[in-house]
Amino acid sequence: MPFRLNRFALYAAVAAASVGLSVAAHAAEPIKIGVAGPFTGGSSSMGVSMRDGVRLAIDEINKAGGVLGRPLQAIERDDEAKNERGVQIAQELINKEKVSAAVGYINTGVALAAQRFFQDARIPVMNNVATGSVITHQFDDQPENYIFRNSAHDSIQAPMIVEEAITRRGFKKVAILADSTNYGQLGRADLEKALALKGIKPVAIEKFNIKDVDMTAQLLKAKEAGAEAVLTYGIGPELAQIANGMTKLGWKVPMVGSWTLSMANYIDNAGPGGEGARMPQTFIQEPTTPKRQSFIINYLKTFNPKNARIDSPVSAAQGYDSIYLLAAAIRQAGSTDGPKIRAALEDLKTPVDGVVTTYTRPFTAKDHEAITANIPVIGEVKGQRVVYAYAQDLQKASEVRVKSAVAELPKK
Amino acid sequence: MEALQVPLQLLYSGIALGMIYAVIAFGYQLTFQTSDTLNFGQGDALMLGAMVGLTLVGLGLNYWLMLPIVILFGMLQGGLVEWLGVRPALKIKSEFGWIMSTIALGIIFKNVAENLWGRDDLKFPSPLPESPLSLLGAKVLPMEILVVFGAIAMMLAVELFNRKTIYGKAVVATFNDRDAAGLMGINTGLVITFSYALSSASAALAGVLIAPLTLTGATMGAVLGLKAFAVAIIGGLTSGLGIIVGGIMLGAAEMFTGYYVSSGYKDVPGLLLLLLVLALKPSGLFGKTAIKKV
Repeated sequence: MPFRLNRFALYAAVAAASVGLSVAAHAAEPIKIGVAGPFTGGSSSMGVSMRDGVRLAIDEINKAGGVLGRPLQAIERDDEAKNERGVQIAQELINKEKVSAAVGYINTGVALAAQRFFQDARIPVMNNVATGSVITHQFDDQPENYIFRNSAHDSIQAPMIVEEAITRRGFKKVAILADSTNYGQLGRADLEKALALKGIKPVAIEKFNIKDVDMTAQLLKAKEAGAEAVLTYGIGPELAQIANGMTKLGWKVPMVGSWTLSMANYIDNAGPGGEGARMPQTFIQEPTTPKRQSFIINYLKTFNPKNARIDSPVSAAQGYDSIYLLAAAIRQAGSTDGPKIRAALEDLKTPVDGVVTTYTRPFTAKDHEAITANIPVIGEVKGQRVVYAYAQDLQKASEVRVKSAVAELPKK
Repeated sequence: MEALQVPLQLLYSGIALGMIYAVIAFGYQLTFQTSDTLNFGQGDALMLGAMVGLTLVGLGLNYWLMLPIVILFGMLQGGLVEWLGVRPALKIKSEFGWIMSTIALGIIFKNVAENLWGRDDLKFPSPLPESPLSLLGAKVLPMEILVVFGAIAMMLAVELFNRKTIYGKAVVATFNDRDAAGLMGINTGLVITFSYALSSASAALAGVLIAPLTLTGATMGAVLGLKAFAVAIIGGLTSGLGIIVGGIMLGAAEMFTGYYVSSGYKDVPGLLLLLLVLALKPSGLFGKTAIKKV
């Protein structure tokens, strides 16, 4: 008798377990989203903020029931801002994790090296931070393009920097300081082009290397050439060394540069010498709309960054939005099939209410850029955080800037 | 006066930068003198010193009180490198085993540091005012002056130790002829361990000296360690004076090239100088020519 009872119990348990398992497997099999970026190293303030924005969005979506009845699951990988790591991770995400889509890429070089694997596997990538103009055009020669972006590419930023320095603030003599990486040198070329359109030739064009500890020679040259402002293209730590070098030389002119001047490791390492730097920003940590307010409150509550300051607000906001854009596309496609998601992204029927902007038909088959030149504003480092540089921008910040009807296609 | 301002400024900055290289190069010299080996993890010893210093300062310890703890930490770390990486190679009379093992230990230390402190660059609070002083019309940071004099003081202290104390004489004897020194009753193994401890201690001290000028991070040692190695070769691995002159030459070459030629080429003349020295005077500008009997 005990034997039979045991046996019966065993059968029952096995049956129950297998039913339970299969139900769980069908109902809750998550939709995997790859998340790649540098979570350590000099670019990590951007990478970690992006990742946290992604986590926040996925959490919210899952609490609201997920997408197609399935929860989203982030598969996070640290690419250390290294191209070869990016390539490894892309292959792992595609072949082992079988992700349905990917978001991320902070560094243009890593994006260019890694996203070709997604293109080949026909899995969409939403670039949410990297700004190199060429990123969305890497596969222009192919019939389908799986690379999308919701950050402000360099062809938008360089003219904004020039507009700010030359037109709005009236500087006639400017020096360019750019790092020797692809990012810095492509940016420098964009800056020179934008300056030439205003009929201005920079008085000095200087280079520096990652990890350089002394900027005296470059700054002295800019100073002796009579520069009234320094235009920069680099990342946080070296930008901080530029500001520190200016403090040392007792020479203070405004710094205007690419959006990386908002990185926490620039602001923290430059200290008071870094104040006043201006840069284009798609998002500034100010509760100017209810959507932004709840995003900021949730972010601060969940991740508790020091001094209640998001390390890189732009990256966090764009990371957050990238997930909502993808979720909308998967919902519309009714499938996690790469080609179907891509088709849905190129023809999004319902607007996506994001933190940066409201995305109404953000992409078409020809245009994979969600951000146009009219969206970013100029930010300024003030009191160790980034604020609106212009009062009128802050006043009008509650009006969401949406993608202009005539999409300005970036130059290749 | 005006015309001189720019070269003077470049010279000041070049000297400050060169002395940063020189203090690190000094560490290479210390171990070379006793054991004919170098610690290729010298840059990482510097980084560890800066990181430990930053942690202590972060805990609220005064900068000056933190220095002896960092020196002690450096000595322990250097002793560990010798014990783990160099001693086995010396024992089996391996000519080059220590090269890989010191590089390997350096990489391990860097990875440990990345895990402990993260990979971001951090600011080291300056113990001196951060506003520049004006010297003959060009600007100098108080911290740069401290680096220059701190480095010289450190080298002088070691020099005095070698010349005046019996322990120092043991070091010199080991340098001159390790086998003979051993026969005379000197524990040469201990002397070599001690020289490694001293070299890492000097690197750790250099780390906290320069960290307020550079930024502090797990990867700060890589470029600096390499430049310092060039300085050690240019100046000569056996001459304290050579290290200082070599450091200032490299620092000034970078500054002047950056200004007068192009900032894109600022690392070139230093390396050309290195090649030139190797071709014409392989023992370094101030180095004694080593005669190796075969």
